[in-house]
Amino acid sequence: MTVVRNHCASPFQIIALATALFLLAPLAYVTASALSAETAVWHRLWTTRIPELLTNTILLASSVAVLTLFLGVSTAWIVTRFDFLGRQMWEVALVLPLAMPTYVLAYVYNYLLGFGGPIEQLWQAIAGSDSHLVSPQSFWGATLVMTLDTFPFVYLLTRSALLNINVSFEEVARSCGVSNRQALFRVTIPLLRPSIAAGIALVLLYVVSDFGAVSLLRYQTLTYAVFQQMTGRADNTAASILSLLLVILALAFLLTERWFRHRSRFYQTAGRYRTPNRIPCAWPRTLVLTTYLAVIVGASFAVPASLLIQWSLSPEALATLDNRFWGFIWNSAFLSGLAATAGVVIGLPLAYLASRQPNWLSLGCLQAAYAGYVLPGPVAALAVLVLFLHTMPFLYGTIVVLVVAYVLHFLPVGLQSLEPSLQQITPNLEEAARTLGLSVRETWRRVTLPLIRNGFIAAWVLMFLQAIKELPATLLLRPVGFDTLAVRVWLEASEEYFRLAAPPALLIVVVGLPALTLLLSRNWRVG
Amino acid sequence: MWYCSKCSAAGRQPHRRVWVVWFFLALGCLTGVVLPSSAAAAEKLTVYSGRAERLIKPVLDAFTAKTGIPIDLLSSGTTELLNRLKAEGDRSPADLLITNDAGSLELARTAGLLRPIDVEDVNRVIPAPFRAPDNSWIGLSGRFWIIVCNTTMVQPGQVTSLFDLADPHWKGKIAIPSASSEYLQAGISVLRAGVGDERTKQFLIGLRDNAGTQVYQKSSQIVEAVAKGQVAMGIVNHYYVYRHLAAQPSAPLAIVMPDQQEGGVGAIMNVAGVAVLKHTPHFEQAIQLIKFLVGETGQKMFADLDKEYPLNPTVKADSALIDRQSFRPAAIPLTKLAELREPTLQLIEQVGLR
Repeated sequence: MTVVRNHCASPFQIIALATALFLLAPLAYVTASALSAETAVWHRLWTTRIPELLTNTILLASSVAVLTLFLGVSTAWIVTRFDFLGRQMWEVALVLPLAMPTYVLAYVYNYLLGFGGPIEQLWQAIAGSDSHLVSPQSFWGATLVMTLDTFPFVYLLTRSALLNINVSFEEVARSCGVSNRQALFRVTIPLLRPSIAAGIALVLLYVVSDFGAVSLLRYQTLTYAVFQQMTGRADNTAASILSLLLVILALAFLLTERWFRHRSRFYQTAGRYRTPNRIPCAWPRTLVLTTYLAVIVGASFAVPASLLIQWSLSPEALATLDNRFWGFIWNSAFLSGLAATAGVVIGLPLAYLASRQPNWLSLGCLQAAYAGYVLPGPVAALAVLVLFLHTMPFLYGTIVVLVVAYVLHFLPVGLQSLEPSLQQITPNLEEAARTLGLSVRETWRRVTLPLIRNGFIAAWVLMFLQAIKELPATLLLRPVGFDTLAVRVWLEASEEYFRLAAPPALLIVVVGLPALTLLLSRNWRVG
Repeated sequence: MWYCSKCSAAGRQPHRRVWVVWFFLALGCLTGVVLPSSAAAAEKLTVYSGRAERLIKPVLDAFTAKTGIPIDLLSSGTTELLNRLKAEGDRSPADLLITNDAGSLELARTAGLLRPIDVEDVNRVIPAPFRAPDNSWIGLSGRFWIIVCNTTMVQPGQVTSLFDLADPHWKGKIAIPSASSEYLQAGISVLRAGVGDERTKQFLIGLRDNAGTQVYQKSSQIVEAVAKGQVAMGIVNHYYVYRHLAAQPSAPLAIVMPDQQEGGVGAIMNVAGVAVLKHTPHFEQAIQLIKFLVGETGQKMFADLDKEYPLNPTVKADSALIDRQSFRPAAIPLTKLAELREPTLQLIEQVGLR
């Protein structure tokens, strides 16, 4: 068996190391460029923009975290612990918002809650014509949109944790004389803590790296400011400094979550595992639960989606469905397909090595690939831009630069499904194949690759979906005449042409829907 | 969506066909990367445009329809495109640059990106103040900074100068463009040249406090906000207001041509312009496009569709617009906008405009 390892390892190791360096280089470039900036620039930013941007970013992230915690856990609790008519439908429906990019939700709410919009008109009919709602282009609007869009992260992770914990823990607590409510807070919630923390961490990373929603809602965060600095100034020093702050902030969230998860780790003890019985509901309770879920799903998916359909069917929107529009679809599909393929190809050696030879080198390489988590879109774009300008300027302005930015940004998503699928194959299978006389290459082709195929496809689909929704890097790096659906949505929506933005937005949502079934199958777990 | 799958290992057959599909997918993608760069059509013009796409695309389409020369258009921010051109250097696919601001064109000229064009047909129709001294760039259409008011919230004569907008009376009632917009930067440069840095700074501080969070990326959003009554007034280029009125004639909008009083700065003017990039292999076609843009057909489109002031004196502006002869523009040459830019940016950051 050592033979197998040695033969596989060396070329892989080189590839993995090269990949890791390639992935870390952009981050290093941004850091270096920020640290080498003149102190005057730092001083100028500290005294003018940074306090506001940091406060805004942290405020938004924490308020969204609190709200998603509530929404995610309560919805997960309802669909796992109660039995009522339509439960299974709601179980699926609660994931749908993930197909809706935040900038699409933001522009729909810009219209709905905006000045003179339908909801304000309704409110004025009740409260008098001089009363106004809080503008969605504010902290509250950004919080609402980000919450509605990200709570499914918490919901999904909490739900699968609730389905997987052993109900005997609760029963023991109950038999020791603890009330139902106490059992919930002293047993169940602590057991769920790691999953909830992982969900919240995803939400936090998502919020700090979001560009589309905050720019449409004109809420100044660090990510938005990086984009503005890159497009409004002739040099990228200020953008690098803000990027560095953003990276540090994201890193802080990520490390806190790891630490949290490490501290509270719970194990399934030996003994028989049983799923909890769902509490059957009579119609009054069914009504209450259904209303609650309907409001959440309605606000986060059904209402925006039906508005998009209605807008798409308007004559002015239908007029945009010409050849150019098919071009945008092709550009989107082509670019995302390319990025997903590249991501899988690059991620595979890293994940393979880390699971087969878990020494410090290969694990380090794998961790390097996760750097994309802390590189939000504009930062990844900036990093790639600076890197390519210094090393391979002839590639600037081509599709290659964009694909590299995508891979950098979305590789963690892919690795999350590649890595465990490799870990679950016992090396014994490969070894058995070798003892039966297969060559190393044959073993790979006939044993390993078929076994990891599902993880492979999942990784590809997830990266494809992320890439097709991606906005800031695409805006900054797209080649000439290469607009994508996401770019079109943004261009039209940012000028308040709601109807014209609807067809591409709707298409992004529709493409994303089938992939959600991947997320729902019961075997999905926290990465 | 960071989740992972746990696929069951038992009972899986290798599906070779899937891998074949994957392989060809990857191959197809790779050839796709190579093709667009190598297959740059000989007769095609590539235009980088810092103007809103809906304002320039119809004109370029008309050119294509007339001459049969197809155009690849990249619409983006003007400064962003300048950065891009500098980075691309002589490998740039761009043949022409169109911007919404003369200062940016002048910066491109000083950066050595442009190729002077001395064409009699162009020089004859575009007056000298609207061209670069060496004809590196050519102005196409004029626009003025105006104050757009909601008529239900602002009385006629209540506001006559840009400096009135800094009055605390209008707190929360003013919409302004974002600090990264080139036309805001150009406007502030003109104010600095007209009234000095200190007075401009006081004005900007007042403006910042009055605007609060009402800072917009796009002029059309400002006009929309004023029309809805979300704010009382905003600073925009004039044509956005007329375009809005053309679509919705009943909107309660009025225009104030600011600072026309004795000793006032005058209306702040800027031009949208075009330039040919130094390394273009399509110089002839590029000149053809420029001739079209300054000619009657092109200028008439800028006047009628975009509601700008055509720079070719033989073409009339839209009749809805304030007569060009009835107001006085600020006396700052367009070419000075470039050198004024950097200190302006510093002032903007010092004040902390968003």
